[in-house]
Amino acid sequence: MSDVDFVDWAMTLIWILVKIVLIILPLVLAVAYATYAERKLIGYMQLRLGPNRVGPKGWLQPIADTVKLIMKEIVVPQGSSKVLFIIAPILFIGPSFAAWAVVPFDAGLVLADINLGLLYILAMTSIGVYGVIIAGWASNSKYAFLGAMRSAAQIVSYELAMGFALVGVLMCSQSTNLGDIVTSQSGGILSWYWLPLFPLLVVYWISGVAETNRAPFDMAEGESEIVAGFHVEYGGMAFSLFFLAEYANMILISFLTAIMFFGGWLSPFEGLGVLEEWTAWIPGTIWLLIKASWFLFMLFWLRATFPRFRYDQIMRLGWKIFIPVTLVWLPVVAIIIKAGWLD
Amino acid sequence: MADSVNYSIISSEIFLLIALCVIMLVDLFQRDKERKLTFMLTQGSLLTLFIMGVQDLGVQETIGFSGHWIQDQFAVVLKLAIYLTAFISLLYARPFIRERNLMRGEYYLLTLFSILGMMIMVSANSLLVVYLGLELLSLSLYALVALQRDSNDASEAAVKYFVMGGLASGFLLYGISLVYGMTGSILIDEVANYIAVSGANLMIQFGLVFIVVGISFKFGAAPFHMWLPDIYHGSPSSITAYISSVPKIAAFGMAFRVLESSFGGADIHWTPMIMIVAMLSVIVGNIVALIQTNLKRMLSYSAIAHIGYFLLGLSIGTDEAYAASMFYIIVYALMTLAGFGIIIFMSSDKNDYQQISDLRGMGRYHPWYALMFTIIMISMAGIPPLIGFWPKLEIFRLLVINDHVLAAVVAIAFSVVGLVYYLKVVKEMYFTEATDSPNVSNSRSLKIAISVNCLLLVIFGLMPDRIYYYCLSAFTSLN
Amino acid sequence: MLENYLPILVFIAIGLGFGAFLELAGYLAAPRKENFDKTLPFECGFDAFEDARNKFDVRFYLVAILFIIFDLEVAFLFPWAVVFQELSWFAIGAMGVFLGLLVVGFIYEWKKGALEWE
Repeated sequence: MSDVDFVDWAMTLIWILVKIVLIILPLVLAVAYATYAERKLIGYMQLRLGPNRVGPKGWLQPIADTVKLIMKEIVVPQGSSKVLFIIAPILFIGPSFAAWAVVPFDAGLVLADINLGLLYILAMTSIGVYGVIIAGWASNSKYAFLGAMRSAAQIVSYELAMGFALVGVLMCSQSTNLGDIVTSQSGGILSWYWLPLFPLLVVYWISGVAETNRAPFDMAEGESEIVAGFHVEYGGMAFSLFFLAEYANMILISFLTAIMFFGGWLSPFEGLGVLEEWTAWIPGTIWLLIKASWFLFMLFWLRATFPRFRYDQIMRLGWKIFIPVTLVWLPVVAIIIKAGWLD
Repeated sequence: MADSVNYSIISSEIFLLIALCVIMLVDLFQRDKERKLTFMLTQGSLLTLFIMGVQDLGVQETIGFSGHWIQDQFAVVLKLAIYLTAFISLLYARPFIRERNLMRGEYYLLTLFSILGMMIMVSANSLLVVYLGLELLSLSLYALVALQRDSNDASEAAVKYFVMGGLASGFLLYGISLVYGMTGSILIDEVANYIAVSGANLMIQFGLVFIVVGISFKFGAAPFHMWLPDIYHGSPSSITAYISSVPKIAAFGMAFRVLESSFGGADIHWTPMIMIVAMLSVIVGNIVALIQTNLKRMLSYSAIAHIGYFLLGLSIGTDEAYAASMFYIIVYALMTLAGFGIIIFMSSDKNDYQQISDLRGMGRYHPWYALMFTIIMISMAGIPPLIGFWPKLEIFRLLVINDHVLAAVVAIAFSVVGLVYYLKVVKEMYFTEATDSPNVSNSRSLKIAISVNCLLLVIFGLMPDRIYYYCLSAFTSLN
Repeated sequence: MLENYLPILVFIAIGLGFGAFLELAGYLAAPRKENFDKTLPFECGFDAFEDARNKFDVRFYLVAILFIIFDLEVAFLFPWAVVFQELSWFAIGAMGVFLGLLVVGFIYEWKKGALEWE
């Protein structure tokens, strides 16, 4: 390899690293402030104040939390499989970050513009389940073990419904490239896929909530039954990795819902004459952020509103309602497309 | 027309698949504990398949689906035999499974699935399709054996069957992959072409060893027979009757397709192996059967011996001999069904009566059934004029004609040894004093079925040429 | 084409490295004072009285097996869906047959109670 080639390679690599940092840093900040936003929002919904001591209006609360978590001891329980115990949180957080590589923030504004974007995201979110199972198994604790079992069964069940729902999206968009999926929805709010694929949207969104183990599907860590589920034995930084990954996944699900059913970075005023002109200066990223924030807000809202499901209810919802719904709706989508009503 | 997608040549399989789905759904929504509708539909579809098969008799050889599928007289005749024997075995099974809480829709569904697998096996024209059919058959059979979940014996048998079957499949698949590695094709025709052009080199011989071992495992031929008696003994009797008879017909189809159709050009390599396996089976089966006191185990060992005779036919390697083997395996299936039919017949209520001594007094208290059992035993021993005699005679004749005199002499000698244990059963029935009436089933349908099955053995025995004619036609049409 | 996948490889490495780094930071910054009671697995105030790797409900296996079947189904559907608008009716019918068979299986497992949890 000649020097020029080497320099070329190094430049490419550095450029990639810069872009990755540009994704990860805001993501970590977003996660930190998502926890703050969640506590504040739920506080207000329940007529409380939420965190308000650290910094003005509690703004510095996430920082304080982080510092506290770093200073906490990581206890490795006796009888546990030590290596697996330490690896599990890394295996959990790695994929939940890596999935962001293919998320388009605006036309062309994406780290890796690959044609298999959607498959890649599915793969990455599926790998997370290994972290859960390994954590539960390695802990040598009954609660962790049961929590991991429940969590894994729940995640894989809802992954099916999710996959089926995405088949509908693919049938409409004819591409697994997330950017192409967005552009195929262009033409105003009515040509976004939420309208023809409405049942699939509902299935996808609720599956996404279940997939991230969020309330009301947080069976895996229901504190009244199995304390904290698969990460009951984790403390300090090891625990906060799980925590980080969970919130990163929530944000990812919000982004994906926006991208696949709500036109991603596209403006909702497309084709509306005056309104379109007036809002033309707003960059697509802002639209995407607004949409994603709304879905993130819905996640918090769900948590404040609904009590936790029973486990059998969760499994029934996934297998007996969502899968049949998608199986019925896919032929309907096929008819819609073949009849040309989509165009 | 190797590349055509030709649905007419798989119409039977498509029909069976649709029937299966319908029966599955019908069974699900049926409250009837007797599963009458499921039973009727199953038998109805077998009859329909039989009629479809009869219409296909004398069909032209057609290859389709990129050369992976073949329809010829050979496949049609074997399929007809499969439908017929499966039909009879389900008739036998009904009272038996009713008394043992096995009357579940799955019994019929798994039987049909295994039949589908067998149909694929005998119609396959590529090694991979053979394997596909074999696995569909085997998996159904494992589940069938395990159907009696509350029985320790049956569960043990199922696990053994699964492990040994998996091992055999592994051998077969390994052999196939070696052959594929050399020839670059899994199509039977192309493998045969390769061997015709380049001959069988070491690698192919190596693969052939694995294939022969795999096939012998599946047949339960010695020295790969150890699993067979345990499984036949442990399974519920009606299922034993099924797995010991019908799948052997398909296994013959597989053996023929794999050994003769693909490796016919290399038969100097595999016929000696088959010959050794066959001789060992004849010897081991007949000798070990002598000392069995349990009728089911005795029949298992006699099955090994029968497989030995049948493999002898396969090892000769002429068309006539293949026809004789086919004749033998069909007759064997009918006889084995009848043989295990005796055990089903003796087991009324929830009790199994499997000891040979349980037959005592049969001649005095139930003379008609004693006569039937005698017919079955004598037919199995191969005494004229019963049907069991003719294929044996044919195979011995062909052995002598083709210069395997020693093998013929040994086979005949052990055939005489076989007489001892078959006649021991007859002796128990007629000449051993019994104080009590032996146990027999009350089911009228079972009485009719076993009588009809035995009478068939006699009638076919008086005119064996009809079946043999079809077997011969299967092979003359090949050339 | 393939160079598009380089950032992904790097990102996966960075993602894992980020996790490892944070965990390491926790190890270095936090105190480490182990004692017997602290490292006991949590069990609601009891001492743990048996190994946690117990037998568990067979239905979890069942879910895993059903998941594999349906996940494969989804995997087959994906490439089909991507080219759906160019497909002939024959290809659509073929997928219909495939889905139909799986729906029969789905009805079967439903009626047999494989999807019941208590």
